[in-house]
Amino acid sequence: MSELPKSPKVISNKVIDLLVSDVLQKNGVNLEDVKKKLSDDQKELLRAVVEDLTAQVDEFVKKSPKKK
Amino acid sequence: MSYWKCRYCNCKNEETDNCKHCKSHKPKEQEKEESTVGNNHGHHHNETDITQDFDLASFMGQESDELIWIKDSIDVTVKSTDTQAAVSLQVGLQLAIALVVSVTVADSEHGRHIAHDLFQKFNMEQTNKQKIFVKNSKDVNITTTDTDLAVNIQALLQVLVSLVAKLDIL
Repeated sequence: MSELPKSPKVISNKVIDLLVSDVLQKNGVNLEDVKKKLSDDQKELLRAVVEDLTAQVDEFVKKSPKKK
Repeated sequence: MSYWKCRYCNCKNEETDNCKHCKSHKPKEQEKEESTVGNNHGHHHNETDITQDFDLASFMGQESDELIWIKDSIDVTVKSTDTQAAVSLQVGLQLAIALVVSVTVADSEHGRHIAHDLFQKFNMEQTNKQKIFVKNSKDVNITTTDTDLAVNIQALLQVLVSLVAKLDIL
């Protein structure tokens, strides 16, 4: 598999942002309404989930064997 | 004696309740009766009735096969990424995205549509097969990385972070 790029290409954050906004907009989600609806507990829980997953992904990407 | 043909594995069965080959499938008539009770997505297994809701949350197909074949060789070192860990990380991310969407959208059917849209944009369904053969060799170092999986995982994390950032959670 020597032809594979040395490190995975990461998609630009702007593209992802645009994609997420587009999907939410097309499905008629009003972000302001949703923000008001979320309780502090829910926000705290989701924040913990995201932080945990971010740490796991970082660790996985770092752990992948380096090519010579 | 009457026979019925299983429509999944095409084998002939006598008057038993379940298909003798794939065990869980039933004659068509019986299956029809059951499908009116629960939702019938794709193949019908008895257990899927209970876990139906999760089917769509992590419906992305991903297959990763790795085969390393070594014969008549000496001093071969193999370094391979733990694909299993990567796959479970991917499933964790998919579920987290589905969770955020489900919390933000009260209507579960609507939420399912949004999660489906997000996943579908990535067209994650892919197969990655690596086969490595080593024969009559000495002092070989093999290092394999499932790059596709690593990219998918990072992209999914970006989607998740973008979603929560939009909701002022981070």
